[in-house]
Amino acid sequence: MSREEEIKKGLYDNTLVGNRKEVETLTNEGVALGMSPMDMLFGALIPSLQEVGRRFEVGDYFVPEMLVSAKAMQGAMVILRPLLVQSGAKPIATVMMFTVKGDVHDIGKNLCNIMLEGAGFTVVDLGVNTSTDKMMAAIKQHNPPVVGMSAFLTTTMPMFKVNMEAMAKEGIRDKVKVMVGGAPVTQEYANKVGADGYAPDANATVRLAKKLVAEMGYDVMDTEIKEEVVAAVQAVEALMNKAGAHETAQDASTESN
Amino acid sequence: MERMTGKQRFLAALRGEPVDRPPAASIVSVINYELMDIVDSHFPAANTEPEAMAQLAAGAHEVMGFDSVMPIFSIAQEATALGCEVDWSDTTMMPTPTTHPWEDREVKIQLPDGFPDSFLNDKYVSCAVEAIRLLKKRFGDEVMILGKVMGPWTLSYHLYNVQEFLYDTIIDPDRVRESLQTLKIVPLTFAKAQIEAGADAIVWADHATGDLVRNTMYRDFLLPLHQELIPQVPAPVILHCCGPTLDRIQFFREAGFKAFHFESQVPPDKAIEETQGKIKLAGNINNPVTLFSRGPAEVRFEAQRAIDAGVHIIAPECAVPLQTSVENLKEIVATCEDNPKN
Repeated sequence: MSREEEIKKGLYDNTLVGNRKEVETLTNEGVALGMSPMDMLFGALIPSLQEVGRRFEVGDYFVPEMLVSAKAMQGAMVILRPLLVQSGAKPIATVMMFTVKGDVHDIGKNLCNIMLEGAGFTVVDLGVNTSTDKMMAAIKQHNPPVVGMSAFLTTTMPMFKVNMEAMAKEGIRDKVKVMVGGAPVTQEYANKVGADGYAPDANATVRLAKKLVAEMGYDVMDTEIKEEVVAAVQAVEALMNKAGAHETAQDASTESN
Repeated sequence: MERMTGKQRFLAALRGEPVDRPPAASIVSVINYELMDIVDSHFPAANTEPEAMAQLAAGAHEVMGFDSVMPIFSIAQEATALGCEVDWSDTTMMPTPTTHPWEDREVKIQLPDGFPDSFLNDKYVSCAVEAIRLLKKRFGDEVMILGKVMGPWTLSYHLYNVQEFLYDTIIDPDRVRESLQTLKIVPLTFAKAQIEAGADAIVWADHATGDLVRNTMYRDFLLPLHQELIPQVPAPVILHCCGPTLDRIQFFREAGFKAFHFESQVPPDKAIEETQGKIKLAGNINNPVTLFSRGPAEVRFEAQRAIDAGVHIIAPECAVPLQTSVENLKEIVATCEDNPKN
């Protein structure tokens, strides 16, 4: 195995277990060896994070494991981001993310942000306890095609509808796609309040964001890395289908009892 | 069987004794905007003044018919007293901690100077205790009066910041244990004050939920603490933990709680099976879809399902959205009344 291949394997394995120090060391070594930042990102880091997401979806990983992996990935991104910009990697689109007014939970949102950035989006994060006015001002400033709202409490979920009504009142509701998420949120609730999509976790958020911006005419893939990304996505989708079948079987078993 | 009072019914259910019908309970807040208008008690006063707090809490029984009342609607009293910033002035939302003093790893994990007196004299902590005193005066032994405390895990979320706390469960577990050990005296202190004021039982919220952590984290970090603390509370204690929790009832039932208040994600029949008769169950009517978005027929369906499964105390799964209708909440009570036992 060449040193470059060892580095990529090391990036994958150490991101998976959240060994940030080792991820940073390997990233720096890869850069020093002249490895392509795109290759390290799409050939090791993103697939690792996608595996993390898969393990989370099937219940092997929980939030702490996601956080340590995400922080490891962040360590690499701090090093690679300037190089990616230099190499001309264009962001797919801007996604605005926030936790709604009255709610200060942000883990899920922060994990989504990392996955979205890792997937090539520019993320504008308004933070927590975000008022409708703040959201509207930020939309006017940043013109995001996608707005993601998070609520962790059943008492704050109604803010999704309040925010979308404010967008409609300003005449911009049809200019943004709204995706919602958070522990108590469901697809049914998202449909009921008129959101454009619902994602149960960070991995699904990335898929949803790509779908929504594609619907708006954005190109969700950089042509240069298309083949690598397609292969990585297909591999992940195969795993996701297995995970989906696993979850469906579990649900069916629960319902029948 | 003679008709029981709300308190008799609730206590009998907790003890596993015969009841005239299933109790319908307010466990972690059933207050809503419509109720606020009916009893003329609104935020922020209902969160910050004992009389307004007691008036709104009383509505759970006097207007909606629940067998219990619980005046501590929000989760922020302890956090405020321990140094978190909380906006208590909002008229439409529950107050929540917005700063986390222990988030900075350079900050020493310790309680504020003067604990416990400084804690018990805090404006919002003493408000809650006084509201319980007023409710005891109002209802005597007719209605079950519940207090509520945040356990050391949930308090750690507030003091530490959820993300950093969960991160440290893997990266720095010693700091997590230090946080839990430092904070464990807080719910004990608050619970005893509430019981002395008239609370008949305590709801203990500790959110080691399946939405966030694996069940072995509860077992390894929190179960030993609960086994140490719960026997020291001189009243029955009801654990509240949201989210998917079926996989950890096996641990909850060993912790010393009298009951576990659980969420709609957990099928009630499966939950009953997991208790092995060692802990009673309260719950588990869905909030965001059933109580908030649907009507009385759907509420009745879920309440009946919980009753049929053997859930001992019928309640919403968590603090109801403030837009929930009084009509829907009353349907929980009506369903219980339509299921006489003995």
